Amino acid sequence: MTPAGEPGGWVGRAYPLKEAARLVAGRGRFLDDLAPARLLHVAMLRSPHAHARIVALDVTAAAALPGVAAILTGAQAAALSKPIRPLIPTAVPIGDWCLAADRARFVGEPIVAVAAVDRATAEDAAEAIRVTWEVLPAAVDAEAGARGEGPLLYPELGSNVVWHDTLTYGDVDAAFAAADGVLRERFEMQRYASTPLETFGCIAAYDAGTDAYTFWSNDQRPGLTMSILAESLGVPQSRLRLTCPDIGGGFGNKRRPAWLLVCALLAKRTGRSVKFVEDRRESLTALMHAAGGVMEVALAYRADGTLLGLSVRDVTDEGKNLVSPTQHNLIKLGNIANGYRIPAIRYEAWSVLTNKCPTGANRGIGKPFMCFAIERSMALLARRLGLDPAELRLRNYVGVDEMPYRTPTGAEYDSGDYHATLRAALARFRYAERRREQVEGRGRGRLLGIGVATSVEPAGTNLASYEIITGRRAASGSAEAAMVRIEPDGRVRAAIGDPPSGQGYETVVAQIVADELGVAPDEVDVARGFDSATTPWLYLSGNYSNKFSVTDTGAVVGAARRVRDKLVRLAAHRLEADPVDLELRDGAVRVRGVPGRALTLGELARTAYADVLGLPPGEQPGLEARHAHQNPLARPMDAARRVPSQLVFANAAHCCLVEVDPGTGGVRILAYVVVHDCGRELNPLIVEGMVHGSTAHGIGAALLEEFRYDEHGQLLTSTFMDYLKPTALDVPDIDVGRLEHPSPVTPLGAKGVGEGGAIPGPAAVANAVEDALAPYGVTVRALPLTPETVWRWLAASRGA
Amino acid sequence: MSARVRLTVNGEAVERDVEARRALSDFLREDLGLTGTHVGCEHGVCGACTVLVDGWSARACLLLAAQCEGAAVTTIEGLTPAAGLSPLQEAFRACHGLQCGFCTPGMIVVAHELLEGNPAPSEAEIREAIGGNLCMCTGYVTIVRAVALAARGRRAGG
Ligand code: FES
Ligand code: FES
Repeated sequence: MTPAGEPGGWVGRAYPLKEAARLVAGRGRFLDDLAPARLLHVAMLRSPHAHARIVALDVTAAAALPGVAAILTGAQAAALSKPIRPLIPTAVPIGDWCLAADRARFVGEPIVAVAAVDRATAEDAAEAIRVTWEVLPAAVDAEAGARGEGPLLYPELGSNVVWHDTLTYGDVDAAFAAADGVLRERFEMQRYASTPLETFGCIAAYDAGTDAYTFWSNDQRPGLTMSILAESLGVPQSRLRLTCPDIGGGFGNKRRPAWLLVCALLAKRTGRSVKFVEDRRESLTALMHAAGGVMEVALAYRADGTLLGLSVRDVTDEGKNLVSPTQHNLIKLGNIANGYRIPAIRYEAWSVLTNKCPTGANRGIGKPFMCFAIERSMALLARRLGLDPAELRLRNYVGVDEMPYRTPTGAEYDSGDYHATLRAALARFRYAERRREQVEGRGRGRLLGIGVATSVEPAGTNLASYEIITGRRAASGSAEAAMVRIEPDGRVRAAIGDPPSGQGYETVVAQIVADELGVAPDEVDVARGFDSATTPWLYLSGNYSNKFSVTDTGAVVGAARRVRDKLVRLAAHRLEADPVDLELRDGAVRVRGVPGRALTLGELARTAYADVLGLPPGEQPGLEARHAHQNPLARPMDAARRVPSQLVFANAAHCCLVEVDPGTGGVRILAYVVVHDCGRELNPLIVEGMVHGSTAHGIGAALLEEFRYDEHGQLLTSTFMDYLKPTALDVPDIDVGRLEHPSPVTPLGAKGVGEGGAIPGPAAVANAVEDALAPYGVTVRALPLTPETVWRWLAASRGA
Repeated sequence: MSARVRLTVNGEAVERDVEARRALSDFLREDLGLTGTHVGCEHGVCGACTVLVDGWSARACLLLAAQCEGAAVTTIEGLTPAAGLSPLQEAFRACHGLQCGFCTPGMIVVAHELLEGNPAPSEAEIREAIGGNLCMCTGYVTIVRAVALAARGRRAGG
């Protein structure tokens, strides 16, 4: 397609959010703001144990409390619904219902749901339920699970390992044999999450007359959720309606079809609308964590620093995740080589169940850990070789002249100049000068450290990559659908199957449509959120994997162009003009160079909807188009098991300066520079905001955040008082610079931007802290770098 | 157990029976329909529920409605003009000081309080003022810019 930007040139402008007008006034409509009549509220009774059998359950006292409308136990849910379909079928089919029936497998797993007139009453009732538990030993160590040790979550599977395989790309043994040296390291990544400020929630209603369900939820992936709801409830999708209102942040975390099913079963039982909204503790305990894990890296290199081969062993701690295990493993194939030319790669992976919160999508999924392992290794290798860490990277990047570049695992880097990105970041950071300041500072006893980390940031998930595991293809590719319509009064309206959770789609979609139709963005009304009854959507629809820029934009452009083409045909007919002489500008189709010969969108809409005898022969009435777009880089797995697990690649370089307080072990970030290249920026305000926010997530993971479990599988950090998020006092004024190498394969040249900061952020901060602690000989192998951790290193080193 | 409570909310007298355990945040959202006050943690850490009580910022999730007898409560709805936006709200819009908008009402309440007491805050003072409010989307950079812009606008406007 031709680049947009004509005629209004709205795409690319720093256009403030259209959504802001309602959100700054507190006039958003979030899930918990919705209150259908006669609403019931749900509280869940959750397991206090990581692993325990339910011996007896007595709900009589709870059911007798005034205001309690219905109680749903796990056993009842299993009788009334079908299990939730897994993405990866297990060796023996396992029934994973919306409530646990006989056994709880993580702290916080719900076993009973109570619907009552208000939440407080429902909570009182949940407390009145008597449960007799038989506590079982908990599996908390994924590495032990990978070795076949420890208690089993599902004895019928005979193992906690969902998937174990070795993928080999290129001649890895030869690469290691030819190497001058091999760097071997072991890294760990903690469990953490992006914790959107609005918790997950849903409302269900049931209409007995038509046997139909209506749902409202801040669910990020309504396409997939529709299919799960239909299968589990045993009704066709045509009798489900799912609406997403304003969503208060997502980052991958906002999904749990099980809770929608619980509400649906209670709604059917009571004939009333039923709402469940997690409280914060429930959210931190039981919604979704990014997987923790252990990675062993072996990096083969030549004496000059040239990388020859990479071998990775990656154990993923999935928690009780039967729905989407292996996700954190597979996605790493997208950035396992990072921006480097590494000709031979071996990836051995274990996906292991444990008695912890289920894992799932979280800003970057797996890629922050992959980047952490590679970028930590590069820092250590630079130190070993006596090279500047920036120089070592520059020697190994894929060159701009090599684009498009196919990595050994099958990812295609479509464009970008990684050397230029790093050089720009170093210049912006005043790298050389700061190195001198660091030396001076150290002389005065200051523990200053400089960290560099760079990353590639893919966008759009190709679901065909699951074929590596299952050997067959179910879903594949990356696609989205959109609709553009000119109403009978001439006003433009658009909708998209991807419900935003803070990415400003109402604004960006309006900018894109405005350019195509020759109107202003304020003249385009973009639907808030998602409604399966009115929004065009696909199974693949949703707000995930960074896909807006690389997939959704194609759907919007395509739909707008169809409407534009029709407007031109109508106008050409009515004005008796040649279509090539027509242009769309200022709300009208105009004959170029002939002022006054024009028809407004309103006039053309009257023809299209009302005065249909004025249409050209054979033209259908109406002015509406739907269009779906699939990203062209997605392809199936090949015979060598190469597959692009993700698609279009942005890139970034992060440089930060930290200071460690030798007294407290506290880390302060004194300066943070990001230079990124996400191709064409559709709206620089939104892009910069994404970079800030995403980088802050990386900083949080590096310094503060951890879901810490004890040896019994008890979660020790289940409130914001102990699961610490970065505040305005922790996140510095992140300085963002940019390069723009447009993607040749996306309709507007844009690339993903939402995950870019979260991927290299942890590595950049870790590299800086290690650099600050260089006098103490510390190697950073795990996160977060809390004051306690750092202080212990300092104390140990002083004691030694 | 319920009690009668009389207070002023956004300048209007309100009189209601409330359960003793009803949090001010639930009272505002559910009993009065003022859903602009958001709830992000219900344990006093995130600041999403911040409102003004007698002019001072307070966490509505940590107060009981019954405690607010005689108080004057101002929510984001009360800080929004009948038509258009306040200069502070406008600054948030112009600076992209929000993404999902869930933290925004609480942020605007604390920023309003700051600017009432300190017309020329430094960046450090702005960060200090919003330091008790979590935003999961913005990394705070543009929120700080928005508050600084609003402060400049106030001074210029006299
Ligand atoms: S909801 Fe009140 S501080 Fe978080
Ligand atoms: S804008 Fe989403 S939490 Fe602040």
